[in-house]
Amino acid sequence: MVNKMVDKYLAAWTNVLKHKYLYILLLPGLLYFIIFKYIPMWGVSIAFKDFNMFRGYMESPWVGLDNFTNLFQGMDFGQKFLNTLVISLLKLLFGFPAPIILALFINELRNLKFKKITQTIIYLPHFVSWVVLAGIITLFVNPGDGIINHLIVFFGGKPVDFLNSTTWFVPVLVLSDVYKGIGWGTVVYLAAMSGVDPHLYEAAKMDGATKMQQMWKITIPSIQGVIVIMGILSLGGILNAGFEQILLLYNPIVYPVADVIDTYVYRKGIIDANYSLAQAADLFKSVIALVLIILANKLAKKFGDDGIW
Amino acid sequence: MKQAMSTKETMGERVFNIINVSIMLFMMFIMVYPFWHIVMFSLSDQKFAATGGFFFWPRSLNWSTYEIVLANKNILSGFKISVLVTVCGTLAGVLLTAMLAYALSKKSIPGYTFFTLLIFFTMLFGGGMIPSFMLIHYLNLFNHVGALILPGMVSAWNFFIMRNFFTALPEGLEESARIDGASELRIFWQIVLPLSKAVLATIGLFLAVGYWNDFFSSVLYIVDKDKWSLQAVLRQLIGQTSSAMSQAGVDIQADVQVTSQSIIMASIIITTLPILCVYPFLQKYFVKGVLVGSVKG
Repeated sequence: MVNKMVDKYLAAWTNVLKHKYLYILLLPGLLYFIIFKYIPMWGVSIAFKDFNMFRGYMESPWVGLDNFTNLFQGMDFGQKFLNTLVISLLKLLFGFPAPIILALFINELRNLKFKKITQTIIYLPHFVSWVVLAGIITLFVNPGDGIINHLIVFFGGKPVDFLNSTTWFVPVLVLSDVYKGIGWGTVVYLAAMSGVDPHLYEAAKMDGATKMQQMWKITIPSIQGVIVIMGILSLGGILNAGFEQILLLYNPIVYPVADVIDTYVYRKGIIDANYSLAQAADLFKSVIALVLIILANKLAKKFGDDGIW
Repeated sequence: MKQAMSTKETMGERVFNIINVSIMLFMMFIMVYPFWHIVMFSLSDQKFAATGGFFFWPRSLNWSTYEIVLANKNILSGFKISVLVTVCGTLAGVLLTAMLAYALSKKSIPGYTFFTLLIFFTMLFGGGMIPSFMLIHYLNLFNHVGALILPGMVSAWNFFIMRNFFTALPEGLEESARIDGASELRIFWQIVLPLSKAVLATIGLFLAVGYWNDFFSSVLYIVDKDKWSLQAVLRQLIGQTSSAMSQAGVDIQADVQVTSQSIIMASIIITTLPILCVYPFLQKYFVKGVLVGSVKG
């Protein structure tokens, strides 16, 4: 019995040694993942402690679910959660179909050169940083001399202070997010569309189908696998309402509509150093996101499409 | 019959094409104009710029704004830091990811599934902002440029893209090298890498753009303003009024050739210029990368 175990162990070890050079290549990257991805995962346990920076991790006492109870019972968190959902869902509602629709149209462009130029240009906002984009937005929607308000006044309206208005802040957020992502978002869909058999279109045209009908009945069903996968990925990120963008554009006046879980975690955790409470919020969000993406993947498989795994 | 099919264009199709092209032109306009506006505005003598409205050309070409911004020590240090971080991070990141991806592209390696799952899981769950913040402290990297480079250097996403590429490489080349007695390391370095220029360039570009555009790392990990990335400097610039700006080391001239607005605009242009210049030429690499990545192995 012991001999068998020793043999197994020796065999495994020899196997490892056979690939020692591969392991040498593997090691630095692996170490990186362990240090920068897995050790922080262990750090989520401070959500269950009353973490004190001075006492350190070991000395801080365990408090079980107290942080979560405090979090949920407090006045704030419900609103943050609601804001997160609202903003995310709005972004999904507009931002998910938009690249698909745009891709449908780009796919119909006849002139190849025009098509290429169009694509190059519309990818641009994706590669510009949020700092720059937020700066541009701030300048453009400025109630004093921003050109958006200039246009509004030109057409007879009154200037609107978009970024300080609880009514307009979220629309600006959603619109600018769609703006930034719509071009780049078409890449995956266009690639899928280029794989559709052109004979299908010809046959449809012979049957008298209009462009719209062709798009609806041929193109979209053909790329439905890609749509599903992108949908799953989007659902997985539903509780990420766009932290950097919001952080750059928001201010205390619009907190009631703009403060999301991540910005709350940032203010409470990093700025106020209330680590445990903030981490509880963050953990809550991460776990829900994980559950969502697993569910979405299962759902996709049930409907016959391939999931992500 | 076939020829007739492809050249005949119905009235409906004609209309559709006109609408389509118009939509595209509109989209291109709204993507390009904001930057155009800013460039023109910042190149204008601010006396005229103050009247607002649309800008298609500079109103009285004036370089003063750029002279001021380019002399600002915060902008300069931000630029230096960003370049340093981007270059180091991209080189190290590409190398490390390639090594990892190559090693794990060999199905025969013991632990193949385990390590793959280990890496994949990081795409689903993570520690979050606060544990990362603490990790940097524990590693003594707080307020150190390394904190801008290390987090985010290797990502699961990039790993899978690279690995897909390596798996697709023909076995034959490596086999013949192995028969000739070359070690795995030599094979990696002298055969695989030179063949992988495309994917290395793609991942490199993704990393480079990510690093260049990163501002939050500076906010989170860096306290000294002279170690901030350019984006962080820009962010602060935008959030300030002109009186606070003189604290940041910008001299507002007495004449109205320059205003706080034009300074912000010039800073924006300087910050995003590298991307704007480089990107059109390298666009195909980005597109290829995304496509390879979405056909996940």
